[in-house]
Amino acid sequence: MSLNTSILSTETLDYMRPATEVMRLARMGCGHPTRLSFLRVLLRRLASSDWKIDRPVWNVDANGVGHGVYRVKSAERTYSLVAFAHDLPPEMRSDRVIATAWDATFTLFDGEPTAEDIARLADNVPYQEAGRISAKELTLARANRSVRLFEHVVNALAQGCQPDPAEIAAVGYLMRTTAVYGSGKFGASDRADIAQRPELAAPFQVEMLTVWLIRAFTVDIVEHIATARGGETAVKLDRDIRRSLGVGNSTGLGMAPFIVRHPVLLNNWIMAREEALARVRAQPTARSQALSDLSAALDAAITNARVWHSEHPIQVCKLDELRHDLALLSTTLNTWDWKGEHPWDALWSWGVQTLTFEGQEALLSLMLEPHGALVDDLADHMGANEAASFRINGAMPVAELLRILESDYAWALAIDFTSPENVARFWYVSEEKLEPRLGERATEDGATLEQPLCIARLVAELHETVRNFDATQSVAALMLAHPEHRFAVRRAQITAHHPYAEVQDNLIAADMLPIDLLRCKLAFFGASQFDPRSDRWVRINLFAGAPFPDDIKAGGAV
Amino acid sequence: MSSEPQDQTRGDSTPFFSDTKPAPLSCNEAASLCMKAARGAGMSWGMAEEAGFAAAWLVSHGIDGPSHLRAHLERADGRDWADLCPTVTPYGWQNTNGQPACPIILGATMCDYADLPEGPHSGTTIALGPVSAPILLVPFLAEVARSNGLAFTLSWPEGAVRIDADETWLQASLQSLGVPQLVLALSTNAAPPHEPSAVSMPNAQTTAATIVVLNTFAMRTTVPATEASRAGAGSTLSDND
Repeated sequence: MSLNTSILSTETLDYMRPATEVMRLARMGCGHPTRLSFLRVLLRRLASSDWKIDRPVWNVDANGVGHGVYRVKSAERTYSLVAFAHDLPPEMRSDRVIATAWDATFTLFDGEPTAEDIARLADNVPYQEAGRISAKELTLARANRSVRLFEHVVNALAQGCQPDPAEIAAVGYLMRTTAVYGSGKFGASDRADIAQRPELAAPFQVEMLTVWLIRAFTVDIVEHIATARGGETAVKLDRDIRRSLGVGNSTGLGMAPFIVRHPVLLNNWIMAREEALARVRAQPTARSQALSDLSAALDAAITNARVWHSEHPIQVCKLDELRHDLALLSTTLNTWDWKGEHPWDALWSWGVQTLTFEGQEALLSLMLEPHGALVDDLADHMGANEAASFRINGAMPVAELLRILESDYAWALAIDFTSPENVARFWYVSEEKLEPRLGERATEDGATLEQPLCIARLVAELHETVRNFDATQSVAALMLAHPEHRFAVRRAQITAHHPYAEVQDNLIAADMLPIDLLRCKLAFFGASQFDPRSDRWVRINLFAGAPFPDDIKAGGAV
Repeated sequence: MSSEPQDQTRGDSTPFFSDTKPAPLSCNEAASLCMKAARGAGMSWGMAEEAGFAAAWLVSHGIDGPSHLRAHLERADGRDWADLCPTVTPYGWQNTNGQPACPIILGATMCDYADLPEGPHSGTTIALGPVSAPILLVPFLAEVARSNGLAFTLSWPEGAVRIDADETWLQASLQSLGVPQLVLALSTNAAPPHEPSAVSMPNAQTTAATIVVLNTFAMRTTVPATEASRAGAGSTLSDND
């Protein structure tokens, strides 16, 4: 299912931002979570339908070692997070994919696990990549403690006190996941086998459910250890503090290729978001409720920007810009003329002229926030049936392919790939760890084993061939003569029908920042407080401020 | 490969299957491993994706596609494109050098030509000549049959199998088509348009031996580590915080 332009009204189309503006790395690297982010989609469904959530099993000893089961149950289906809690020596704690042990490991089971299932999972899940799961499992994940905050909270609760709010704000989570695998990895259920379920149709819903239940586990395990340590003196975590906590996540280069490898999916994510912005801008007037909701969302964004920490120079600069832009927006809204024509569009135009990319993309998120009734249905269009776009249209004349390349890939053909700085890097897979890495072409070996991730250069090479090929011939004939271009031809034919399919930048340029790719994807997950640890490694927070299983029915902003 | 047994630090658990145990892969794993292996054995990236598609399609239809692909790649490894591809004419799609055609290239090309005059149309018979691992041709023909409302009959000197909407032919044809090589002809007839069968069957399991061979091919696409690459992979900051 692709969200193509046929469902857009002509009036909305006029307000769509073009791909040439949206699909640039500099802007994608300023993405903010919105109400269409996947964790928000999950929370809305859990809050609004008849899902019952409980913890039927909690078999954990005084050292915090054991397992628990969290159950999410509707009339039709049950999902169970099986959590294994371990006692990890500090010297083994690493966020890298090369770690071999974790503080806790998890799997999301499709249904209710039997004792035999639990025993099987206990033999595999704690070993992560060295274990195997089955089609009965939907995800495989692990998490490490934030040593600093975890110990602080356990100590405080064990002594009958609440943790220091400054410590809570400085970290924001008790544990951070270092991997959440789904989609058939390590033997898990294939995405195609579950994508038809309404609750899993939107992207990454099993992964988001896994992380949300992990968040509940992180508080339960802290309270459990505090009680074991403090006995009757121990207290539970204050509910407001608890709500402020999210789950940290640490993500490296491994995630970057994903949005390049899934062009239809990327298109559908971006197009849903852009359509949402266009719908808001196209409104002739503004409702008063929407204005007060905007104001509340802006207050939350200002608070979020205040507690958002990073030591990375690029992010420090972006945070300064964001805080400045949000303050400017706040001042501007005090006197904004909401009685004029198309006031939301006017506000957007003001933002484009006034704010940095960081501020503009934050404004986009803020403008969607009061308009759930207008935009939330777009979440139903963010999945993708990639198999439907896989077949090459061999009957297409080569002349038509040439036209697609010269129009849809003008940005790529404009790059000079004879210039060293434009081919400075190469993407490859490490033999040692099978993880994606980025090499320096001039100084590192392995460029002959380059992964096909620099679409711009692949397309430029295809263009060179196509220009010299008989234009009256078919693409099928081109493919027989030039099988080396099959990958790029498939891309070009997809892009012809999916305007937001390509990151319109050179992904092997000397100055390319992988964290921009990571942030784009993580913002669609619903991540906040991006904290780059290098140019290819970022920490985030998920679900901070969101309800917990025991209060999601009580309402609150989702 | 440089990995130790049970090395948890590599993003792949398939090497841990031992020889005697069945090796169940998800379709995603089968497609991914077979795509990398096909690339490692010399296919272009775009053709390697077709290999991944074909192997995973067979897995989801209860047939051990990865083992058939493995057998084909072992035979095709190192052969030139000219020795693997068909020359397309309205009546014959044979390899000009008289070599057995690669079923992935032949199948993908069949899909490419499906809507062109040279492609398979109702009432035509195309001589395919010798085809390696002919079962791997089936996923492509099933796709064209579905999208273009066609039924195919694949015939060889000793028998024939009809490929149409009713996928009951699939298991029956496995024994005939699951061989190293057949000299094939493809006849085409009109059939009512149809969607894939909604009946799902358990994924086929593959074998540890197949996974070892496919991983060996796949490892040819990877780059040995250097100190520079290790240093660049992660954060320079401590994670123990």
